[in-house]
Amino acid sequence: MIRQAFRANPWAFLGPAATQALAAALVTTGLGLTASLDGVPPDNGIADLGIIFTLSSAYLTVLVVGVTMGTAIAGQARDMALVRTIGATPGRVRRAIAAQAVLVALPATAAGIPLGLLAGYAWWHGLAGAGVVPSEATFRVYGGTVPIAYAVTVGTSLLGALVAAIRPSRLRPSVALTEALVSRRGRGRVRTAIGVLLLAGGVTLAVVISGFDAATADQAGLFVMLAMCVGAGLLGPVLLRVTLPVVRRLGPVGALAADAVTARARSLSGALVPLTLAVAFAAFTVVLGTTTAHVTGVAAPAADRWLEYSGTGAYTAFAAVAAVNTLLTVMHARRRELAVVRLAGGTRGRTLAVVVCEALVVTSTALAAGAAVAATTLLPLLHTALGTWRPWLPVSWLVAGIAGTTALVFAGMVGPAAAALRRPPIEVAG
Amino acid sequence: MESVISLTSVSRRYPRGVQALRDVSLGIPAGQFVAVMGATGSGKSTLLHCAAGLDRPDGGRVRLAGQDITRMREARLTRLRRDRAGFVFQSYNLLSELTVRQNVALPVRLGGPRARTVDEVLGLVGLGGLGDRPVGELSGGQRQRVAVARALVTAPAVVFADEPTGALDPATGAHILRLLRTAADRDGVTVLMVTHDPAAAAWSDRLVLLREGAVADDGPAADATRIAHQLQAVAA
Repeated sequence: MIRQAFRANPWAFLGPAATQALAAALVTTGLGLTASLDGVPPDNGIADLGIIFTLSSAYLTVLVVGVTMGTAIAGQARDMALVRTIGATPGRVRRAIAAQAVLVALPATAAGIPLGLLAGYAWWHGLAGAGVVPSEATFRVYGGTVPIAYAVTVGTSLLGALVAAIRPSRLRPSVALTEALVSRRGRGRVRTAIGVLLLAGGVTLAVVISGFDAATADQAGLFVMLAMCVGAGLLGPVLLRVTLPVVRRLGPVGALAADAVTARARSLSGALVPLTLAVAFAAFTVVLGTTTAHVTGVAAPAADRWLEYSGTGAYTAFAAVAAVNTLLTVMHARRRELAVVRLAGGTRGRTLAVVVCEALVVTSTALAAGAAVAATTLLPLLHTALGTWRPWLPVSWLVAGIAGTTALVFAGMVGPAAAALRRPPIEVAG
Repeated sequence: MESVISLTSVSRRYPRGVQALRDVSLGIPAGQFVAVMGATGSGKSTLLHCAAGLDRPDGGRVRLAGQDITRMREARLTRLRRDRAGFVFQSYNLLSELTVRQNVALPVRLGGPRARTVDEVLGLVGLGGLGDRPVGELSGGQRQRVAVARALVTAPAVVFADEPTGALDPATGAHILRLLRTAADRDGVTVLMVTHDPAAAAWSDRLVLLREGAVADDGPAADATRIAHQLQAVAA
């Protein structure tokens, strides 16, 4: 079964593997920073940077690797149903899934650690160059890097895969076979409730922490943001529907796209978590910087800016890669669907236009959700620190942000769809 | 009268050297229901794919609904298929996440002619009340009827059916074949059906038998028992 899983969709696991490699890299960088900052006097103000970065990376990894691995496993529901039919016990299915999760995580982590060391080294040089750390301090590799990095990636990979496998491995085979063909249509009341709870909790926390001093609020803000992004992901099926009435007005292509988004709302929601994270992270840091400069009339010192932007850059890049990977996995599973549309008379151009419409729905939802999350965490903070409720962002940054998000979603959806449409439909659908 | 489907000396060789079709010539007039039979690997599916423009022959010419499709550009070919042809496959090839109505409306939404309303064709195939059910919840026979409805919604000149009853029991299969038969008799739709089931072939007007990629026999279709004998004679 493991072999079948890897052979049937080698590409489906590329997403989780890439995210896990990056996760290992982030953790390695964080650990390296922690070790290197050991010698720096605590009054420097960045002594905790390494630890904070490591913890945030680990937390982020749990989320993002969990989401990508979960999406990859969900694509195997039909295979799971088949092996259940021919006699595999639920336990056996879960073990096979666990083995896949570990098998993906091992090489990915091995690739990620050297990457993380390089990144840590480069970052350290950047910090030294910007005068944040004394130039004579050297970058050191933390002794426990390898076991810790493996523990984080293998652990999160396993967790994500097993959570995704709970439902398909427990079903009776007969139900499993039909279930594999029809994804659940229920609204998922529990899911929506948890999503609302997370969002409400996030808003409350954001208001509470805005009363703290700037540094603490800034750090706690990250966790509030993560909670709210997961909330947004859980509410994804609902959020994605908001734009659909508009899309349906675009004519038959829009209507087809709206139907597809409704049918695939759950799997697309998986991509919404990292996308919203990426948008929220970037928006939070950039708007904080530009508003502060706008209100006070002075730009933050170069060293501080460097620290802020490089840290946010790392998180944003990680979330962005995870988002593209999740979308790639989702689109890979839809090759047959695209072929059926072609067989029903859709030209390549028109079929692709449907996917473009879907991508626009995902992009606008992610932008709106990300902006809302960033605003919730940022506005109370701005009010406390600067006495203003009005964020300020140059139009060029706004345009760049929208263009960047659109490019990400298109790379994850339209790119693979265009590639899939190059093959004759009859070969795919049979 | 011009044939709706016409193949002239069509040959198709697959990359590994397998010759799927050898010099096949076949003309099918409007409103005829043709069954294509032959052993596994005799080239029946390749014949259907080439005739429908889903695959391109290496040699010879194919005309579909009055147009030469041999070297037609892909987008134009797709539009021709969308407007003039309908498809029914063994594996249904429906979008299981969408409702019956959404599946049937697909060709029209993709720009095909709105020749009949969705409700009209659903009534035709006996699925009047099921329009809003997701296709994934239907039985195999019901799914295949959805596929027939989708094939007929554009009032096509030709319906291509590749083992349409392959996954169905005889009674359910007969229902599907009756729908195809009616389409040919009442609306003058040309039907090209590939099958391995003599009982299914008995519903047709004309039987084409293939052996090793060439036409071994071509004549009026008899009853199922007779067809089974013919098939055995060709395979031997």
